[in-house]
Amino acid sequence: MTGANINLDELERDALTEVVNIGVSRAASSLRKMVSRQVLLSVPSVEIVTQATAASLIGQRESEDLVAVKQEFEGAFSGRALLIFPETKSLELARAVMGDEASAEQVLELENEALAETGNVILNNCLGTMANMLRQSLKMSLPEIIRGSGERLFSHSADADKSALVLFLYINFSVQDRNIRGYIAMLMDLPSMTALKILIAEFIDRVTEDAG
Amino acid sequence: MRDRLTAELARLNSDIRDAEHRLHLTLDAAGATGGWEWDVPNKILTGDARFATLTSQDPVELSRGVPTSRFFASIAADDQKRIRLAVAGILAGAEIFSKDYRLIKGDGTTRWVHAKGRAIFGDDDEVLKFVGDLVDVTEQKRVQEQLRIAQSAGAIGTFEHAQGFGTVTVSDQFCRLLGLHPTRILPVATVNQLVHPDDRPIIEPILPDQPKPDSNIEFRITRADTGEHRWLARRGEYVRDLSGPGLRYIGVAYDITSSKLNEERLKRLNEGLSESVKERTRDRDRIWQNSRDMLAVTDNRGRIIDANPAWAAILGGENSDIVGKLVSELAWADDADLVAAGYVKSFSEGGAAFESRMQHVDGTPRWVSWTASREGETIYLYGRHITVEKEQEAALGEAEAQLRQSQKMEAVGQLTGGIAHDFNNMLTGIMGALDIIKRRLASGKLDDVERFMEAATASAQRAAGLTHRLLAFSRRQPLDRKPTDVRQLVLGMRDLLDRSLGEQIRLLVQPSPDCWAATTDANQLENALLNLAINARDAMPDGGQLSIETHNVELVAGEVSGLNVQGKDEFVAISVRDNGVGMSTDVLEKAFEPFFTTKPIGQGTGLGLSMVYGFAQQSGGAVDIKSKPGLGTAITLYLPRSLEERDDHIRQISLVPQGAGESVLVVEDDPSVRLLVVEVLQDLGYSAIEAVNADGAIAKLRQDVHFDLMISDVGLPGMNGRQLAEVARGLLPSLKVLFITGYAANAVNRSAFLADGMDMISKPFDLEQLARKIRGMLAVGTS
Repeated sequence: MTGANINLDELERDALTEVVNIGVSRAASSLRKMVSRQVLLSVPSVEIVTQATAASLIGQRESEDLVAVKQEFEGAFSGRALLIFPETKSLELARAVMGDEASAEQVLELENEALAETGNVILNNCLGTMANMLRQSLKMSLPEIIRGSGERLFSHSADADKSALVLFLYINFSVQDRNIRGYIAMLMDLPSMTALKILIAEFIDRVTEDAG
Repeated sequence: MRDRLTAELARLNSDIRDAEHRLHLTLDAAGATGGWEWDVPNKILTGDARFATLTSQDPVELSRGVPTSRFFASIAADDQKRIRLAVAGILAGAEIFSKDYRLIKGDGTTRWVHAKGRAIFGDDDEVLKFVGDLVDVTEQKRVQEQLRIAQSAGAIGTFEHAQGFGTVTVSDQFCRLLGLHPTRILPVATVNQLVHPDDRPIIEPILPDQPKPDSNIEFRITRADTGEHRWLARRGEYVRDLSGPGLRYIGVAYDITSSKLNEERLKRLNEGLSESVKERTRDRDRIWQNSRDMLAVTDNRGRIIDANPAWAAILGGENSDIVGKLVSELAWADDADLVAAGYVKSFSEGGAAFESRMQHVDGTPRWVSWTASREGETIYLYGRHITVEKEQEAALGEAEAQLRQSQKMEAVGQLTGGIAHDFNNMLTGIMGALDIIKRRLASGKLDDVERFMEAATASAQRAAGLTHRLLAFSRRQPLDRKPTDVRQLVLGMRDLLDRSLGEQIRLLVQPSPDCWAATTDANQLENALLNLAINARDAMPDGGQLSIETHNVELVAGEVSGLNVQGKDEFVAISVRDNGVGMSTDVLEKAFEPFFTTKPIGQGTGLGLSMVYGFAQQSGGAVDIKSKPGLGTAITLYLPRSLEERDDHIRQISLVPQGAGESVLVVEDDPSVRLLVVEVLQDLGYSAIEAVNADGAIAKLRQDVHFDLMISDVGLPGMNGRQLAEVARGLLPSLKVLFITGYAANAVNRSAFLADGMDMISKPFDLEQLARKIRGMLAVGTS
């Protein structure tokens, strides 16, 4: 299914999940401060798939159109990060972030901005944490909102790297007792993915030695 | 006191142990959580008693605080890295900790625990504490494992759908069945859109009001990954939702493609089968309907269960008249038993073939050739209508008979010529001789009259022999076989042969002195020898030697062709040998065929040798013929030896018995025969009275004259001889009657024709025979 030479073993996947979890936890902390509400974020699992698989995965799991916050990143590993929600969920998220006092019109009006801001916090924290944990640095572009089917989201990357792999993560939001399901997808080319794999292996060695 | 304190202490210790034990039991029973608290800045781990028990550590120590590395105590080696990694994540800022892992207990057993924890951050986001608790999930894991294995091994996917939800919780196996990426939650639409539009959806959009089991639903899907079409089935139950107000459908799905395909194949096979059965049935039906032969299914006694239309076509009437009847009831009355017997045979032997007449409704018979074959209690009957064949057969028989008749007539025509020639010769001999005698009598020259009389007699005897042969041939008279002294017979023929052969032929008659008697008809044997002698004479136109010899021989089978010999039998061989022209091989082959003759038309009947052959065969003997052109012919008759006494009553020519004045009534319509008989009787010393017919005879009998004997022709005008005899016997019961007959037919039924004291003599007869017969009859009466 991954269709690539890059295969993460179970431990590597756990490690990557942990790194992302650290990132989203930081993001949650930031969001809590932003919106002064209880926000919990968690990433239960991660997999590496091709773009086509990623598109079909999302297609199967979501029956409605999608909204994504997109950011480019560059550094030890480069690519594009997407925070994806089903349309209705994105609206729900926007409302949760803005609070019950916001009117429906306000929510509709500010949805894109709220999403872009939320996405920025999450993706920045995720990628930043990953870079930190892996003792690397990354440069991030500004967030951008895109809408459409899974196909469109993943084919939107018009670049030549058809072979690009997708680091595909689920993300569960819990905002004020609302559970909102979403996805984080990090599109990377093969060299970037290989670099990431090496960094993760180093990380595993480090923490299993450190701890205890 | 001290003892008391010691006892008290012991009691307290015991209480404590009890309490601890109770606590353990309680904890075990409650499945209580084992909480921990990881003080990150101070690197101290504390845990409650349950945590200590689960991780096999001292509860007291854990409650006081231990190094944080003790968090990993008892974790299975395989899980160590994974958990250390997760904890590292927490210490590095991750917020949620949720892991399952194994703990090895002191006794070596393994428990699965679920650890659920979270990080607690300080104001500047530094991690202060990592808290959480352990739950023993061994049982749950076991059940999950079983479920997982059940699902993967049975290829059964599970799913759960709560009322009102747009998503469905699914198992990995469920996703695999549909060709979806394994996941826990799927939108209902994703699942249902894979189902064939004509089939029921996997997830029912509307749930019932009350919990109930659902029936087995089968549906087709198009796999999301390969596009392959598969058959799936689902079954499940609607149950109360534990966490919500509505119902929840919990179901399983599994692939039934192969069984569906088998089912389909089977169905197609069945359809094909039933189609071919139908077709075959149609074929059979067509044969049944269109057959011109009679087909029927009957029970074992011949009661017709079903009959094809040919029955009605052949026997008339309606098929409904035929079904239910016995076949024998439909048979021609005379053949009913035959049909019933045919049924018995086919039942006992499994099959039978027979022919019988059946009765047409118009009352006429129809010939049918039947074949019956039995299967169990049923008999299948096949009948071919053969009336036409039977008629043709009869017509053919008739035609053959006609052909034979016409062939016979043709033969008679040929015969007549030959006979006429022979008779003319003989008549010429007789008439010529009589003419000469008459003239010699007139001139008074009587000295050599006797020579001509002899010649006339010889010719007449030859004529008598010929007629006798003809009668024998035409009537196929049975042989009067009795023991016969062959030697005596052959010697007795010498004079006759001498006269017949003429002076150019030297005759040698040499029967062996010890010659056996043979079982044969003496008259026929004489005829045969005469025939052979005359043939021999004819074969020697320029004269020659003819010898007749007899031998006693023992023959074994195959030694003489045409001779039926069982093992070894004794025969009398009589050879007639000439040194004449002989016969070629061609002629030899045909020598015994009737009417075959080498003589010109009008000079022979061609019956001679064939008669000899037939006679020998009828006698139980054979004829052997050997001939070489130019060297002569030898014909040998083989006659079976008789072991009975010889018949000594043959031909005592010398003694002619004389009468003693007995009174004889002669009834004969032919004046010359009557004259002759009367003359002879008077010559022999009898008193003869004549009558021309029955009336005359009866008148004489009524005149109260005593008669010893009545000699009557059988073929009288008016009342015939036999009837006359009855009347005469009425008048004179002791009267002897001798019939004279020209018809051999009468002689065939001799015993039926003649009563006691009656006898018969065939024309032509010589006077000597007559005298002997009369004397014999009267002697019986007087003795």
